[in-house]
Parts: sequence; structure tokens; C-alpha cells
Amino acid sequence: MIEFDNVSFEYEKGKPVISGMSFRIEDGEAVGLIGANGAGKSTIMKLLLGLVYCEGHVLIDGTEVSKDSLHHIRQKLGFVLQNSDNQMFMPTVYEDMMFAPLNYMVSREEAEKRVDAVLARLGLEDMKYKYNHKISGGEKRMAAIATILAMEPEAILMDEPTSALDPYNRRLVINTIRELEQTKIITSHDLDMIYDTCERVILISDGKIVADGRAEDILRNKELLEANHMELPLSFCAR
Amino acid sequence: MHMADALLAPAVAATMYVASGAAAGVSITKLRKDDEPQKLPTMAVTAALVFAGQMINYTIPGTGSSGHMCGGMMLSALLGPYAGFLSMIVILAIQCLFFADGGLLALGANIWNMAFYGCFVGYFLIWKPIIHSKWFGEGRSAVRKRIIAASIIGCVLTLQLGAFSVVLETSLSGITELPFGAFMALMQPIHLAIGLIEGLITAAVLCFVFESRPELLRDVDETGIALDAKRSLKTTVAILAIVAVVVGGGLSLFASGNPDGLEWALFGNADGGYSTNMGLDEENFGVSSQAAETAESIQEKTSFLPDYAFTDSDSPVGTSVSGIVGGAMVAGVAILICCAGGFFRRKKRA
Amino acid sequence: MEKALSELGQMDELAVMESPIHDLNAAAKLLSTIVYIITVMSFDKYDLSGLLPMVLVPVLMYQIAGIPVHTCFYKLRIVLPLVMAVGLFNPFFDRAIMLKIGTVGISGGVISMITLMLKGVLCLMASFLLVATTPFDSICAALRKMHLPRTLVTLLLLTYRYVGVMTQELAIMTDAYHLRAPGQKGIHVSAWGSFLGQLLLRSMDRAQELYSSMLLRGYHQHFHYAPGKPFRAKDAAFLILSCLCFILLRHINVAELLGSLIVR
Repeated sequence: MIEFDNVSFEYEKGKPVISGMSFRIEDGEAVGLIGANGAGKSTIMKLLLGLVYCEGHVLIDGTEVSKDSLHHIRQKLGFVLQNSDNQMFMPTVYEDMMFAPLNYMVSREEAEKRVDAVLARLGLEDMKYKYNHKISGGEKRMAAIATILAMEPEAILMDEPTSALDPYNRRLVINTIRELEQTKIITSHDLDMIYDTCERVILISDGKIVADGRAEDILRNKELLEANHMELPLSFCAR
Repeated sequence: MHMADALLAPAVAATMYVASGAAAGVSITKLRKDDEPQKLPTMAVTAALVFAGQMINYTIPGTGSSGHMCGGMMLSALLGPYAGFLSMIVILAIQCLFFADGGLLALGANIWNMAFYGCFVGYFLIWKPIIHSKWFGEGRSAVRKRIIAASIIGCVLTLQLGAFSVVLETSLSGITELPFGAFMALMQPIHLAIGLIEGLITAAVLCFVFESRPELLRDVDETGIALDAKRSLKTTVAILAIVAVVVGGGLSLFASGNPDGLEWALFGNADGGYSTNMGLDEENFGVSSQAAETAESIQEKTSFLPDYAFTDSDSPVGTSVSGIVGGAMVAGVAILICCAGGFFRRKKRA
Repeated sequence: MEKALSELGQMDELAVMESPIHDLNAAAKLLSTIVYIITVMSFDKYDLSGLLPMVLVPVLMYQIAGIPVHTCFYKLRIVLPLVMAVGLFNPFFDRAIMLKIGTVGISGGVISMITLMLKGVLCLMASFLLVATTPFDSICAALRKMHLPRTLVTLLLLTYRYVGVMTQELAIMTDAYHLRAPGQKGIHVSAWGSFLGQLLLRSMDRAQELYSSMLLRGYHQHFHYAPGKPFRAKDAAFLILSCLCFILLRHINVAELLGSLIVR
């Protein structure tokens, strides 16, 4: 369970990025976080992950995100970065997947098992020993997701998981996301993808929640979307 | 300036490895005391950037040619001397392994010639004192000018030192027949020009950083004002003088082991008319001047080893023994320099 | 810049091929390469005949590894200039005739020049063979096993990972620059600072994000490395045999021996 309780945050004094935000995400929910550029989506992610601290309370399973609880909390959360190059810093896919489990004191044998299981599940077995600087953008994104799954987190946060992917790889990523049973929080401007993967959508603007409800309702609301720099998902557009 | 393996005798190469290794050891220890985990990614990304940046062609105005940058000075201004030095090591190692730029055996020497001077001499003796000095007055524009001055002086000086080391190492290895002086006369002016261009490029990049994100630069705060200094420019000049004396003294020691007295004349006998001879006329030189005679008599006393086996090929053993001893002496100087560095760091901390 | 990238890629591809040489432990190969280079450099500067047989070792190894010898010659363009600059003067300063073939006298300087260049080529061949048969992370694992500081090895791995990324970005920027500045050979002086500076600033942000992504996956003290290939008996055998071979070649002038069979 993830909870924001009256959270405010500012990088510079007098310019709040998040102001008085509250919401609750139950276990197993899939939530799409949408909003214009600079609305505060990335900041919400950072707050959850304890990369920055705020006024108010951010709670993960009832534990407040703070310096003392970081180790404990980060183990529960997996974050897939928008730029996979920044995520995959080890030489090979295999080593990158081993990175988190070994850091969290899982034995090497156990970590190996996890890696193989994740690769098999995503159908990426032949990528195991490939070099991170030699795989394509689509492969890299899938590998980044695999890296996070090898951590076995309780919730997965994704920042623009389908950006700059070709339609085939985009579909592959969407299908992968749909099959994950963890709690998911996804930020994106790709509303079709959000519609395909999330049942709930939170729309934010200027650091405040503008709408929070069923994806079906919000993503079909043309006026609401257009007021917030967005358009109806293509799949809803009349031909 | 990358030296190939073929230019170094194993003993000299090993010595340079030891010297560079010592400097690396100090840097790693220092880095661990700082916040190492946080710095590693920045070091890696910056090193990769400098690596790629070395391939950019910069058009030199007014000429048809282009210049490049090497990066030691830039890295130490951004990351500090210790992190900068380690980043340079990594760049040189990757260049050596994948692009055959330099060699495995010569890596130690290359690190010394390019990274050590660029980072340590460049930072402690040039960047830091100049940035903290009162040159060009007060305020942001003064700091900007100081950055330009430090970049240019730093690059020129460190490249001169580097080029000089190349000459010294090659000569000590007994690789070339080219007399020390003539070799130097070839290398130093070329590297003066290279250093100047590199200095200008470095200055341009650092000024850009200064204008947009001053806090990324060492010794400058967010508002672009130099932080308070603990050591004055005068002390620095004094240190430079001491280093010059130590290095000069060390060099004349080496020179005494050489057969033709030319090097000796260069370092021990500046008024012996070296410049008129240009070091090419070996036969006449060193006999006519009285000073050279004195020099020779001293040389006889100080040279405790047979001369380098230059022309008689049947005494390679003599070459290697004197090579090893010569190498050990470089190590001595290197250790001295490291000790001096350590002394000043400790003094600074106190 | 693209050339550098493809060069890097080519090395990677060579390094993951399979052959008895590729199969050897990286540490054994590294040590053997260093001993080889030291041996080559320890030859006297006139000892061209003694040095020549050393060519045989890398040539043979290239064959076993299945890598054509000429692949490394492209790299010579970087190594040879300075070596040549230094060596070219030898014939002028050292004119004593050492050898006479018929009526043509060959001076010591010419011999030492040729020896020097040969040394340059041999050293390059040896280090190229090492990198062409060993993936970079294996070399790093070997360095770590040889007790090189963790900080340095980690930095080496991380930097190597980002060399490709940064080079690609700079290549894109260079293209973008030249598309708007036709006919310019390099970067104009007005853009000297901002061209690299822009990327530098972005890199700092990238480094921050990279560090976050490490932190988020539990990074605290150090990296866990892939264990790498174990050091087996055959690696030890390779190391000892190859070193013995180098030492033998150093002390027995095979070329002269061979020659004396023919010429009396």
C-alpha cells in the first residue's frame, strides 16, 4: 500500500512542485500517472523512492519514507528509468540483473536462479550474456524491466516505459507490463498504453491532483484531457 | 604524446609504473575519505565524455588545421585532482587497450606524463592558487579571467612537463641516437603550440560551465565567486621554485651517467654556450669552454657507473644495470615528489 | 567518431569468438603478454637478428586464435609516428658500418632504426592479441584478482560502459553541427566552449541519475563482479610454457643458429 498524505515539495523556495497532495494506492493496483510536462510526475516518483524529501507524509506499507527506512523501502520498490542506458551500467545483461539481488544479500546461487526465472518468463533467455552497449533500444528496455524484476519488488514504478520504441517492441513491453501482478505506477504521455495497462488514472497539473478515477472515465473525457495538454487516446478517436 | 612500448626500456617503464602507481594509491585513499560511492558515476561519465571529446576537431582560427584536447586539466578543475587523476588513468588504459594509443608497458609512463602533471601539478600549483588569487580584481568577471589564465598556463606548463618527461624517458631507455638536447629542441616547441591550443579549448569549456553551472567547478561557489583560499600565490611560487631545484638537481645527476657530456652541459652548465651549439656539434662542444672542463671533472667523480653502452653492442649488461639504477633514481625523485605533496596536504589540513 | 565506435565494436566481436586462446584465463594472458613485451624490449638495440624470431610467437598465436594478423595493422597508424620520429634520426647519428652485404655497408643506425620499429610492431601485435581474445570485463576481473584496487577496477568498468554512450552522443552532435555548418572542417572557435560544455552539463545530470539507479538497487559499498573464468592447470601451463619460450628466444639467437646452418 502506497500513501501520500498532504504532501508538499519545492526545489526552490516559493515555487512549489507538489502542493498538498493526497492519494492512496492499494496492493496490486495498476495506476497511470499522467499530466503535462513539468506537472510533477517525476517528482512524485522521486518522493516515493526517497531520492528527495518533502513536507507531509509518504508511506509505503505504513512505513514513512525517511533516511532510516530507505534500505527497507527501496527493496520493495523497483524503478524502471526512462533512459535504459542509465539503468544498465554493468557490462552485460546478466551482471546487471545480478546487481540488485547481490546488493540485497541474496546468495549467488539464489540470485542466479532468479535471473534465469525472470529471463525465461520474459522470453529473453538468449540475451543473458549480451553486452549492454550492443543491444538495441527495444532489447535494452526489456532488459531494464528484467533487471528490476530480478529484484522481486512488491511494487514497480515506471517512467515512460514505451518512449522511443517501435510498435512491435512497444506492444511487447505493454504485454509484459500487463502480466505483472505487482502494484504498478506508470507515468507516461502514451495514453493508449496507459489505457491498456492501468485500471486507474491520476491526472495531475501544477502539483495538484485534477482527477483521480477509473481509466475508462478519465481517458474518455476529451475536455479534461485537452485542458491539460493532452489528447484523447488514438483508440478512442472516431475514424 | 602517447608513448609506445617500443620507446621504453623495461626498467624505465617499471619505474614509471611504480611512480604512477604510488600517485594512484594516494588518490584512491583520498577518494575513499571523500564520498567515493557518490563520485564514481560522475567520474565514469566525465571520463567517458573526455574520451569522446578528444576525438572532436576544433578549427584553429586563421589556420587550416585543427586542435584537440587531452583533458587532464579539465578533469581536475571539474572533479578535483584525485578523482581527475583516476579518471585520466582509466581513459589512458582504455585508449591503450582498444586503440593501441600508447602501450601496455608504457602505460605507467603515459599516466605520469599526461595524468600526473595535468591533474596534480595543474591543480595544486596552477588552478587552485590562480583561482584563489586576487588577479584581475574582484567579482565574477575577474574569476572568469582567472579561469582562462589558469587553463592556459596550466595546459602549457603541464604539456611542457609531459613532453620533457617523454624526452627524458626515451633517452634514459637508450632508444634514440638523437642527443638529449636536440630531442628536446624538437619536442618542447611542438608541445608549446599544442599546449596553447589545448589551454584555449579547456578555457572555453570551463568558462561555459562557469556561466551556466558554476558550482560544478572546483574552488568556485554557486554565485561564481572563488572560495576562500588557505594558501597564497607566493607560497606556490616558492613551491614551484623548490620543485624546479629538486627536478633540476635530479636531472643533472642522470646527465652525469651519459657519455657525451651534452646533457651535463645543458643542466649543469647553462653558461657554457649551449644554445650556440644547439647540441648537434658533439665533437667540439664541451672541450673549448672552461666551465665544461670543470663539469667534466665533476662528472667523473659523480658517474659511478660505466656510460650507457651506446655504440659498443657487446656490453648490453652494462646498459641494463645503469638503466635499472637510473630507473631507481627516477623512483627516488618520484617518491620525493609524492612525499612533498603529502607534506603540503597535511600542512593544508592542519 | 563513428570509426572509433566501429573499432570498439569490432574488438568486442573478436573478443567473444571461440578458440583455445580465447578460452584461457585473462590473468594468464595478461601476464604472458607483459612478459612478452618486456622480453622484446630487453633486446639490445642492434640485436635485430635475435629479435626477429620473436615475430613467430604472435604470428602463431594469431593463427590459433583464428584472427587474421593484418587486423591489427590498422592500429599501427597511431603507434608508429612517434616511434618513427625517434628512430629516423638514428641513421644520421650512428654511421659506423656494422654489416656489409656485398659492397653495400649498413650502418648501426639503420639497424637500430629497423630494430626499434620492429619492436613497436611486435608490442602492438601482442597487446592487440590480448584485447582481441579477451572481453573487457574478463580483463577487469583479472585485474581485480591481481589485487588492483576495487575503486579503479569499478571505475574502469563503468567508464568503458559509458564510452560508447558518450561517443554516440557526441557523434550525433557533430553531425547536427556539420549539417548546419557546411564546409567547416571542425568546430568553429565561437562554439569551442558550448559544444562540449553542453554535453558536459547533461552528463553531470546523467551521472546523478545513474547514481540514483544504483542506489535504488541497493548499492552501498561495492560492486559484485562476475567471477570470471577460474585459473586452471592449463592456464598455468600456458603461462609457464609461453614465458619459457620467450626466455629461450631471448637467449638463443635462433636466427643466427639457422643462419649458421647455411652460411659458414
